[in-house]
Amino acid sequence: MKRTFAILVIAMLATGAFAQTGDTIKIGGIWTLADITGKQGSMAAQQAIEEINKAGGVLGRKLELIVVDDEGKADKGAAAVEKLMTVDNVELLMGGMASGVELGKIPTFKKYGKVVVSTGAASYKVEEALGADSSWYFHLHPWDYNQGASYVEGWDAIQKQYPKIKIKKIFLAYEEGAFGKSSWDATKTLFGTGGRYVVDGASFKSAALGGGDYASVLEAAKSFKPDLFLWAGYDADALPMLEQAKAMKFSPSIYLGAPPGWPIGFGTSKLSEKVMLYGMWAPTMNDTNAASKAFYKGFVAKYKEEPATYFAPLSYSAVYIIADAIKLAGTTETAALIKALEATKYASPLGETISFSKSNIIAHQGIRRQKILQWQSGRQEVIWPFEAKTATPVYPFPAWK
Amino acid sequence: MNRNLLRLAAALAGAAAVALPAFAGAYPLQVARNVIMYMALAITWDMLLRSGQISFGIAGLFGIGAYAAVLGVLRAGMSPWLSIAFAAAFAGAASFLIGFLILRLRTMYFSIVTLALAEIFRIVIHNLPEFTGGPEGVVLEGVIMKGSASGLYWLTLGGLAVALAASWGFEKSRMHFALTAIRNNETSAKSSGIDIFRWLLVAFVVTSSIQGLLGGIYVQSYGFATPDSVFDANFTLLPLAMALLGGIHSTIGPVLGAILLGLAAEWLKLRIPYGHLVVYGIIIIVVILFMPKGLYGLARKVSGAADRRRA
Repeated sequence: MKRTFAILVIAMLATGAFAQTGDTIKIGGIWTLADITGKQGSMAAQQAIEEINKAGGVLGRKLELIVVDDEGKADKGAAAVEKLMTVDNVELLMGGMASGVELGKIPTFKKYGKVVVSTGAASYKVEEALGADSSWYFHLHPWDYNQGASYVEGWDAIQKQYPKIKIKKIFLAYEEGAFGKSSWDATKTLFGTGGRYVVDGASFKSAALGGGDYASVLEAAKSFKPDLFLWAGYDADALPMLEQAKAMKFSPSIYLGAPPGWPIGFGTSKLSEKVMLYGMWAPTMNDTNAASKAFYKGFVAKYKEEPATYFAPLSYSAVYIIADAIKLAGTTETAALIKALEATKYASPLGETISFSKSNIIAHQGIRRQKILQWQSGRQEVIWPFEAKTATPVYPFPAWK
Repeated sequence: MNRNLLRLAAALAGAAAVALPAFAGAYPLQVARNVIMYMALAITWDMLLRSGQISFGIAGLFGIGAYAAVLGVLRAGMSPWLSIAFAAAFAGAASFLIGFLILRLRTMYFSIVTLALAEIFRIVIHNLPEFTGGPEGVVLEGVIMKGSASGLYWLTLGGLAVALAASWGFEKSRMHFALTAIRNNETSAKSSGIDIFRWLLVAFVVTSSIQGLLGGIYVQSYGFATPDSVFDANFTLLPLAMALLGGIHSTIGPVLGAILLGLAAEWLKLRIPYGHLVVYGIIIIVVILFMPKGLYGLARKVSGAADRRRA
């Protein structure tokens, strides 16, 4: 039986799924493809690969993206790394979203020591697991503590710019998993210290994980009377939570959501109007940013759908950063590539020039800020940072009718 | 097929499994580890099922084993190897206590309570953040055997060997008769002098210990534990699907099911990256609808029909 199993594995290795092609520079991409962030992230990466190849490739060679689904599981993530490194012989790796999956991949990353350009994994636990000697790891997405610090910076700036916006009391409704808990820890620490803000919060079970009843957390929030109500959960929570807030007539001055991605078509719901959000990118940035416009037009033309999550332009940016580094290094050899990546200055569709510098533990952290946006007439408008602003904030959040 | 031939086939398969690292690369070994892990869990689920008790508590016991191992290292300074043994002992002790509370329940009442186990354990872990790391989990300094692909494969294979040995032990001992009698008719089993609670408790503790052991092996192989990863419902649902596909009430059934589903899942993923889970789900539904006794049941039916024709 085991022999049959071994034969089956060998047979699998011989199939087209594992086949290698021509003289290309192979990049391994690992995402959770059943999730909108991973699906669109991988699509955007493929879009960038095709654009670069159309423009002549890199060092006279075409780029090739080999995508493997990690299924949102740590063990499958580790298997994906092994497959890409030993069967496909990729030169470097990219992708990633959930921190729990990234943690499972790290021992295998360390074993090979190849360059990894990570587009997800915000938890500081990932940074702890990587350790200070992981010079091959380039983390594009802000860490959870970076995000928390940027929110404080953003709200301070907004209150200064728009004096009618006053925030003293903040309530965070957070999903009970690692993502929500790290958001809560960061919010408590960053907003709660110094006494400028009064912070309270409560957890809920996300609809994405079998929950969906927000009555108790919304009641707690309502009785706290926050100036800023913030929820940290998943896309599946966005509309049901608004429905329940409406049913309870809970309308704080600022209603803000911070899921990694919003449900497709959320903007078409009347409930979305004047809801604020944290994110890194919105299609409205096409009006102010040429790189964003080029990315957006290319994505829509290729896939006939709109990018619904910032993980799409983030993954697109990752491919261009990799391509530029290979060009600069003149090789895909790891040490040279690390040096070239350290010199990155990429004007991204996300509205900022990406470069890498040291974070709390690792040597190569890319983006450090999230943006504050608001749904206005079905569009996500950027209200902070002001240099990327596409609209002024509408305040307060309207009372439910 | 006569018994000696079966033994020879099992010995050859075992030898091939042990020797796999000699001729397989890191990726097939990683896939094999995943298959073996779920195979061992499927076997332990089936072992308890032989008494008629349907447990949905695999993820809960796997998860507390995982946390026992990782906290054993971080909080008690255990070696990784000792922590794996501790995981088995801890899950066994916990199941012994839980068993006293739940093993008097039957049918869906028992199933529902076991289903709640993972959720209860997960909530406890969430609410002891100083000790357990809370929802964000805990990270070990490194993985066991420095992440050697062969070493981790053999370690997981060792976990499977324990499950196989226990399962065959159940099949070849008085346990088999006791559990089968309990499954067929509890009243007549009791009137035959079988101490139903005692046998159920033994089966529950043994299977739970192995599930805890596997949880310990898992976290030592990946170097971290978070409630979302180790109490994942997949650790209950996949073994269950594998055992049903392969054929229940036997050792060979879950083994067959795990090989087939595990390899099919990986193959489909590479062939249909953006839709493999749909196809995978359809395969499970179709097989369970049209082969309710699983592959092993089908094989026995076919071989029985052939024997009858020969006679």
